[in-house]
Amino acid sequence: MDSRESSDLRVLVVEDEEKLARSLQEGLQADEYSVVVSNTAEDGFYLAESQHFDLLILDVMLPRRSGIEILATLRQQGIKTPVMILTARDSIEDRVLGLNTGADDYLVKPFAFPELLARLRALLRRGQEVVRQHLAFEDLEMNTAERSVTRSGNYLDLTSREYDLLKCLLINKGRVVSRGMLARDVWKEPSRYTPIDNVIDAQIVRLRRKLDDPFEIKLLQTVRGVGFILRRGAKCSSSGGRAMYARG
Amino acid sequence: MFKFWRSSNVRSRLTLSYLAVVALMLSGFGLATFVVAYSQLRNQVGQFAMWELKTFQGLLFFAPDGTLRLPHEKLCESDDASGAYVTVLSPDGALLFQSRNLRGRGLGGPPAGGEGINGFSERSIRLPSGEHVRLLSKSHLLDGRRMLIRVARSEEPIRVQARRLLLMMLVTLPAVLVVAGAAGHVLARRALSPIQHMIFRAREITAERLGQRFANDEANDELGRLARALNDILTRIESAFEQLRRFTSDCPHELRTHLATIRSVGEVGLQKILTPDEYRNTIGSMLEEVDRLTSLVDSLLMITRADAGKLPLQRVAVSVMALAREAASLLEVLIEEKSLRLVFDGEERVEVEADRSILKQALVNIINNAVNYSPAGETVAVRVLIRDASEVMVEVEDHGPGISPDDQVKVFERFYRGGRAREGSPRGAGLGLAIAKWAVEANGASIGLVSVIGQGCTFRITLPRCIAKNDSVGHTQRASFIDG
Repeated sequence: MDSRESSDLRVLVVEDEEKLARSLQEGLQADEYSVVVSNTAEDGFYLAESQHFDLLILDVMLPRRSGIEILATLRQQGIKTPVMILTARDSIEDRVLGLNTGADDYLVKPFAFPELLARLRALLRRGQEVVRQHLAFEDLEMNTAERSVTRSGNYLDLTSREYDLLKCLLINKGRVVSRGMLARDVWKEPSRYTPIDNVIDAQIVRLRRKLDDPFEIKLLQTVRGVGFILRRGAKCSSSGGRAMYARG
Repeated sequence: MFKFWRSSNVRSRLTLSYLAVVALMLSGFGLATFVVAYSQLRNQVGQFAMWELKTFQGLLFFAPDGTLRLPHEKLCESDDASGAYVTVLSPDGALLFQSRNLRGRGLGGPPAGGEGINGFSERSIRLPSGEHVRLLSKSHLLDGRRMLIRVARSEEPIRVQARRLLLMMLVTLPAVLVVAGAAGHVLARRALSPIQHMIFRAREITAERLGQRFANDEANDELGRLARALNDILTRIESAFEQLRRFTSDCPHELRTHLATIRSVGEVGLQKILTPDEYRNTIGSMLEEVDRLTSLVDSLLMITRADAGKLPLQRVAVSVMALAREAASLLEVLIEEKSLRLVFDGEERVEVEADRSILKQALVNIINNAVNYSPAGETVAVRVLIRDASEVMVEVEDHGPGISPDDQVKVFERFYRGGRAREGSPRGAGLGLAIAKWAVEANGASIGLVSVIGQGCTFRITLPRCIAKNDSVGHTQRASFIDG
């Protein structure tokens, strides 16, 4: 895993739902963050105020005190740690309130874990984003200036959409990319109630035809129920993920 | 009683105002009657006094001793009030003669300026004895001497009559008012009784019994019109309720279906020891179901929010054709996979006033529906047509199996998924068209469809045309025709 950038980063998770808090902790630790969990707003506020963290993950609906209140107080005290808000409410007013209070990003529950990871990375990288001209994985190479892709030196003839899709996967190589992330980053469709998932799946099938079908080693893998990943696969087949859409 | 005055009861208020009007009218009428009758009677008294004065004028003479006399002094010597009072004054106010019944107390004081000079002067005065009299004065010339004759007759008899009249009125007025009030009350009740019926009927109408209607809607009066208006409202509420009821009963059902899948996949996965790959598969399968559940909940949230009117719209001028192309391009890969031919036709530049993203949502859902139900290799047509100066129509036509007339009404309902025979939509929760319908209606537009079984189906969205740009659009359109 490409996790050098996140090693030794301290994250505070303020979430009262213990099961979710624990799974966030485990998931983030697996991505080599060091994680502190607080189940109450008071504890969380105390910790955020007294210790140094690189990132805060705040649940909005906490008992007694809302995440927004904590955030407002922290910002008043000049604490500028990047904050990711988790909320089950996604009305526009709620989002605007969160962002106006000083949150750097928000995720609506239920969110896909890969998306949380990607967003946290984006928060940490903020301000130092560099679009690399050359992206590569295994024998796959992408030149973003020319918008050209080769695999084992063979030029791949991709449509614009396929190129964007592959670029998104390449930037996140070795990590799972959820359909939600693809919808937002590649299709620029943020709403979750469009028939976009079907579109994404069909597009992945087509990309796979050009990217993997002519080659022995399959790179584009489906992680069932989660999303897609660029990962060196077994030699024979990569189509295990396709059976999942047999359901009518 | 106090309460009665401030009553909020329409019948009491009606009766009270009616009573007030009657009382006012009766008092006015009574007063007028009294005034007219009294002045009539007083005129008669005055008339009588005038005759007497004329008589005395002719009878007065100076006695040899120089005093003024009346020949039949007895005439006015009786004490009773029926007799006339007479005085004669010189112009400087000296008393020349007075009848005995005045007992030397005079009549009306010194002469006023101009009194009796031009014809008769007439006024009512009160004698020192307390008696009210009508006094007539006339200037008279006798044997070369000017004098002022005053004759007065008692007004007491007519005052007695007037008092009697007043008393009678005061006694009868309340009695009349009581009768009028009672009659008014009865009339008001009779007039308002249909409302009472409607109140009873309205109480019977509850959420469970919305089928009830007001019975008096045949009548052509105000209440009949009210009943018809209320019945109309009830019909609309009933259908809204019916939709809501179906929705709320379907909603947990849908959620439950997904929950059941998650549960059984999980339980079966735990039944025996699996390989890591198999576990992955099991968890992945559960997560897929969670995804469907999530998108279902998202859609439901959007619909409820839309129902509550909480989705703010940002209406701008939008080119329909461009938006339709954008919507279709999102679905491009699905269209290509099915080897469908997507054709655009019609007015390229016409604009409508709408919320861009919400209208796009509707177009995506409708085109997606067309794509889903089209057999491979068929054509899906998107047409933008100008209906008239104010309306633009977007048609999305497929050549799928079509929708039966029965289903045509239902396709826009939530959770409705055409006949199960129509396979195709892989992930739909039956909300796509419901959302499309809402999205279209939120933009002040309407959606409908025509379909022939076996030949396909055409969805039609009628949108309000953007007025501001109408002219320029029309001109460029025409210009391009001429160029071509």
